[in-house]
Amino acid sequence: MSIRKVGVIGAGTMGAGIAAQIANAGVPVVLLDIVPEGAASRNMLADGAVTRLLKTEPAAFMHKSAAGLVETGNIEDDLGKLSDCDWIVEAVLERPDIKHALYAKLEAVRRPGSVISSNTSTIPLKMLTEGRNAAFRRDFVITHFFNPPRYMRLLEVVGGPETSPDIVAEISAFADESLGKSVVLCEDSPGFIANRLGIYWLQVAMIEAIDHGLTVEEADAIVGPPMGIPKTGVFGLLDLVGIDLGPQVNASMRRALPKTDAFHSYDREVPLIGRMIAEGNTGRKGTGGFYRLDRTGGKRDKQAIDLSTGEYRAERKANLPEIRAAGRDLRSLLEAKGKVGAYAFRVLAQTLSYAATLIPEAAADVVSVDATMRLGYNWKQGPFELADRLGVDWLIGKLTAAGMAVPKLLSDAAGRGFYRVEAGKRQFLGLDGAYHDVIRAAGVLLLEDIKLASEPLLKNGSAALWDIGDGVACFEFTSKSNSIDDKLLELLAKSLDLVAEKFKALVIYNEGSNFSVGANLGLALFAANIAAWSEIDKLISGGQKTFKAMKYAHFPVVAAPAGMALGGGCEIVLHSDAVQAHAESYIGLVETGVGLVPGWGGCGEMLARWKADPKLPRGPMPASAKTFEAISTATVSKSAHEARGHKFLRDTDGISMNRDRLLADAKARALAMVEGYTPPNAPEFKLAGASGRFGLNMAAEGFAKRGLATPHDLIVADALAEVLTGGPADLVDVVTEQQLLDLERAAFMRLARTGPTLARIEHTLETGKPLRN
Amino acid sequence: MQTYKAPLRDMRFVVHEMNDSVSLSALRGLEEISPDLIDSILEEAAKVAQEVLAPTNMIGDEEGCRLENGVVRTPTGFKQAYDTFCEGGWTAIACDPRFGGQGLPESVNKLIEEMICSANLAFSLYPGLTHGAYEAIASHATEELKQIYLPKMVEGTWSGTMCLTEAHCGTDLGMMRTRAVPQADGSYRVSGSKIFISAGEHDLTENIIHLVLARMPDAPPGIKGISLFLVPKFLPTDDGRPGPRNGVVCTAIEHKMGIKGSSTAQLSFDDAQGWLVGVPHKGMAAMFTMMNSERLSVGIQGLGAAEASYQGAVAYAKDRIQGRALSGAKEPGKQADPIIVHPDVRRMLMTMRAYTEGCRALGGWVARELDIFARSDDPEAKQQADDFTALMTPIVKSLFTDLGFEATNIGMQVYGGHGYIRDHGMEQYVRDARISMIYEGTNGIQALDLVGRKLPQHAGRLLRGFFHPVAEFIEAHSSHPQLGAMVTGLGKAFGALQLATGHIAAKGMADPEEAGAAASDYLRLFGLVALGYMWARTAVIAVEKLPKANGETEFYQGKLTTARFYMERILPQAGGLFMAIKSGKASMMEMPETTF
Repeated sequence: MSIRKVGVIGAGTMGAGIAAQIANAGVPVVLLDIVPEGAASRNMLADGAVTRLLKTEPAAFMHKSAAGLVETGNIEDDLGKLSDCDWIVEAVLERPDIKHALYAKLEAVRRPGSVISSNTSTIPLKMLTEGRNAAFRRDFVITHFFNPPRYMRLLEVVGGPETSPDIVAEISAFADESLGKSVVLCEDSPGFIANRLGIYWLQVAMIEAIDHGLTVEEADAIVGPPMGIPKTGVFGLLDLVGIDLGPQVNASMRRALPKTDAFHSYDREVPLIGRMIAEGNTGRKGTGGFYRLDRTGGKRDKQAIDLSTGEYRAERKANLPEIRAAGRDLRSLLEAKGKVGAYAFRVLAQTLSYAATLIPEAAADVVSVDATMRLGYNWKQGPFELADRLGVDWLIGKLTAAGMAVPKLLSDAAGRGFYRVEAGKRQFLGLDGAYHDVIRAAGVLLLEDIKLASEPLLKNGSAALWDIGDGVACFEFTSKSNSIDDKLLELLAKSLDLVAEKFKALVIYNEGSNFSVGANLGLALFAANIAAWSEIDKLISGGQKTFKAMKYAHFPVVAAPAGMALGGGCEIVLHSDAVQAHAESYIGLVETGVGLVPGWGGCGEMLARWKADPKLPRGPMPASAKTFEAISTATVSKSAHEARGHKFLRDTDGISMNRDRLLADAKARALAMVEGYTPPNAPEFKLAGASGRFGLNMAAEGFAKRGLATPHDLIVADALAEVLTGGPADLVDVVTEQQLLDLERAAFMRLARTGPTLARIEHTLETGKPLRN
Repeated sequence: MQTYKAPLRDMRFVVHEMNDSVSLSALRGLEEISPDLIDSILEEAAKVAQEVLAPTNMIGDEEGCRLENGVVRTPTGFKQAYDTFCEGGWTAIACDPRFGGQGLPESVNKLIEEMICSANLAFSLYPGLTHGAYEAIASHATEELKQIYLPKMVEGTWSGTMCLTEAHCGTDLGMMRTRAVPQADGSYRVSGSKIFISAGEHDLTENIIHLVLARMPDAPPGIKGISLFLVPKFLPTDDGRPGPRNGVVCTAIEHKMGIKGSSTAQLSFDDAQGWLVGVPHKGMAAMFTMMNSERLSVGIQGLGAAEASYQGAVAYAKDRIQGRALSGAKEPGKQADPIIVHPDVRRMLMTMRAYTEGCRALGGWVARELDIFARSDDPEAKQQADDFTALMTPIVKSLFTDLGFEATNIGMQVYGGHGYIRDHGMEQYVRDARISMIYEGTNGIQALDLVGRKLPQHAGRLLRGFFHPVAEFIEAHSSHPQLGAMVTGLGKAFGALQLATGHIAAKGMADPEEAGAAASDYLRLFGLVALGYMWARTAVIAVEKLPKANGETEFYQGKLTTARFYMERILPQAGGLFMAIKSGKASMMEMPETTF
């Protein structure tokens, strides 16, 4: 059975966000909420939620049209609309009485066999299903989403003793494949895994920071990047989630957890927190948090709170030699003399020990706990992976020396570790004391796993080529930020030869957070600064040649972007024969932002796509104008769905909702193309030449007059216009793909020699922001 | 013999013909500057250098300084020379008119500095240090301190010092121990010992103003906890006269290889009263703001010594008769030919000449950019000038002092045994020049500054100010009818420099030791290419001027010939340096310490 229609009840932040993500998956969704007293319209809350969703940044919908899949209503008039839903998600107030009353009504209207779930984070499943019939209890699960539902990949799913395994499987499969979530199955215990461990960790880290007399900056610097934790650390994260939430969740944990739970030893009231909440300093949503931006008197001063006095003072970047000295050696940070080492050790040791006590009470195994902390808190490694990194024996020794308890699971791992690689497979230590394979869901293929089991076919400092089975090879970027440099291009060229000889198809894919942010601008800028023009020219012409070789190879090439695919990264996507994109793909040609034009064939590829669009008016200009608009404004799509509208993706290109399924989907797409594959024909263009260039420049000058374009924007725009209108071409001339490439290269080289372009590149490299000069 | 005559024609070539002195008048405060005015100032400076300073040079070396009862006696004649020097206003040359200075540009000042260094390097330290202290006070001190001290320092009645080094810390100033304790009246009490303090104690001026780096009680550890203090030898009275003695005494002076007329003092500060200059804990930053100009000045010392030695060597090579020319007697009427007939003597003289004139031209370029940085109102031009001077500072300091020492050594060689004995003063130049490679940051430190700090900054932006004009020059002149071959040679060396730069940037990022191993060779390569560019530009100007050179044909022809010598005989070293750089660190880092 599949899920074809979903009902969401409760149009608050979570309910609305869940509804949007379901719509993003192309599934119709009914969104209901109550009729508030004195409401102007009966659907006011749900309608308001959709309006809000359309304005949210970052966007909740992957495409505006997805909003059309959300049907709004209210629970007084529209419960009937739930009768044909295959899944009903409840996301109303966290009050058992309200939920009970709602469930009684749902029991009456729902289709038998449909899945019912609650998005609760605090109420046990056994309490929720009290008073419901057997069928309801069989079909009921908890689906705990994280905010914002589109972007947070973690989904905790909790079944009760009476829940049908089929229901858990069904909802998990839908969440995985259609909503793109990574499902972690949890036990019905307080706070499940993410909140249980997360709340404890934050509480420990806050209390210990105060006790050790550290500043908030120091604490965040320690319980942050050195541990693979985002740089928001502890206090920055508390600001983000809302400081007022702390006492509430602590109270809920205090009630729910047994007296023996280690949580209670850190459940201490912190006067500072009370004072901050009373003063409205509840974090980013309030007037300030542990950090704030003081804007009084037109200033923009970064400040932080003094943990001992509660007063704000100027932010003082933590300057901790212990962190510098430790480098990547986490152990030596924990062993550092003084309060820095003591704090780092206390927080991490307590957190890892606590995690070890959660199995099997909250989670079935270490894999679930690690996945939860990686996906829910963006930790680079989960607690058991961290324990392995430190060395389990070392950790046990330190705990013992400090007079702290050693949890059983940790002592079970003594002399070995929580994970190992056996015969090319990753295994974890089970409760039975034996190692078991880490099992991926069917249809999940990860390069990470392939790397454990095999050696690369080709490899250099910037890229690698892997055999991913069934005659398909995978080209992986491995450079910093997956930026494209001469070494990457060189390996791509070699890979094309090898694939032609020994494989059926090529997939271009990697598991970095971004597919590629484009050319390595640092190298290019350095080369420009030392006037190494021939090197830059070689990089451009080399890239053009390689990308064209890829396009016209006698085997299908499928690009599989996820995250950002910008500039050169976008050009690789454009030159691929087909694309399988992750839904969260942000694609665009952003070269003009740094004062350049696309140099690796992006101009011609976009021009050809627009030229082929039958909806455009005839004549040479519409395609030039459309391409000019997208490139001159450095348009970036905010999702794969949106990328289709911009023609960075074709309508025939595929979209995968789940990041972990992207490679398998791309491989399948490539294999499907192999039979009878013929390379594309080279496009030819009729372009308007000088008169067209003049027209495009007029448009750019219009922008400048309205203050939307700078003087250098106009120079860049003119160079782009020259390329897109064929340079010296005349309407009667046929402009070849190669001629366009030559124009592109000349324009790129000309711009690279200008001071304002170099200033833009430098500014972008150093600040990550564009320079509007 | 030490017979110094200021190379005024060549200085005019640098300031007017290479660096377009006319355009200086577009800068703030230089509206009145004209080529004629510059020429007359240079002529006056030449007289002082030749007639007042040069005669005391050998005496200073023979006598040295003496510490007697806590007072340092400078060599005979120094005091009179100093008084004449001050009366002529030469201490005020590059100072702000607001404090009695003459407000002349660095483009002129650095040429005058060269003359002073050629005439008497040891003497140059006294006004030189005062000027450094002047710059620090003028840039960072309160208006009150400026009004009390600067006018006296500008007129030369008070002198200055820079007290950085302590017995246990020179390069690594983060280990500094001297303390400064704040007092209720806003002043500080400074205690500690400083060594190697040039002009730290002497009898030339009525007061000495020490700029002292010290640590406050609440200072953060290391280099970021050092502040700068002004500590006078005598506390000024309200009417600006030296008052009660402050708690600073000279405990010893150093016995040195050279610059013996310069007093190098050990100073002991004992609760000496001082005043903060600039921001607490930002003393190093305050010091660094004047570092570009200071280090260029030390480079000029190398150049000055080289010029003086060259003049002595030429005189001797023409005068000394010994043996016959290889091609047969040149002056059959005499008992022997002058040694200048010999190719190897020519090699030596041409090398010295190529160095001195090349460095003078490069120094002129950098001085001009210092002027633009200090006086331009165009933020972009200012930024570019700042980038360029920051880049070239370590190169000028190291290259000029390395080549200066090499040149004085060659000058001594031309004299044979007569150079090694003290009578002719040629060995004094060698000894005097040697210190410039060491102080103000050793040349090894300069090379590290270049590869570690200047190269990677802003993804190589600092390099642009050098590489772009050179690349454009090569592009524009590669088919020059007379100079094509010369420009091709420059292009080859420049290509090697580009490759080496890219190589170090890439390697050094991954392994800082690789950058460190390449540093000194890279700095020399960079310097040689920079001089090559100077000589190529010189040659282009000479070719333009020669057809209507009138009485100056010999001057321009000499330029052209020296340019050719440089390109053919010196610049090819670039290839060897490039290969050395490429070879990597292994051969110097592999050996275990115990094997040494």
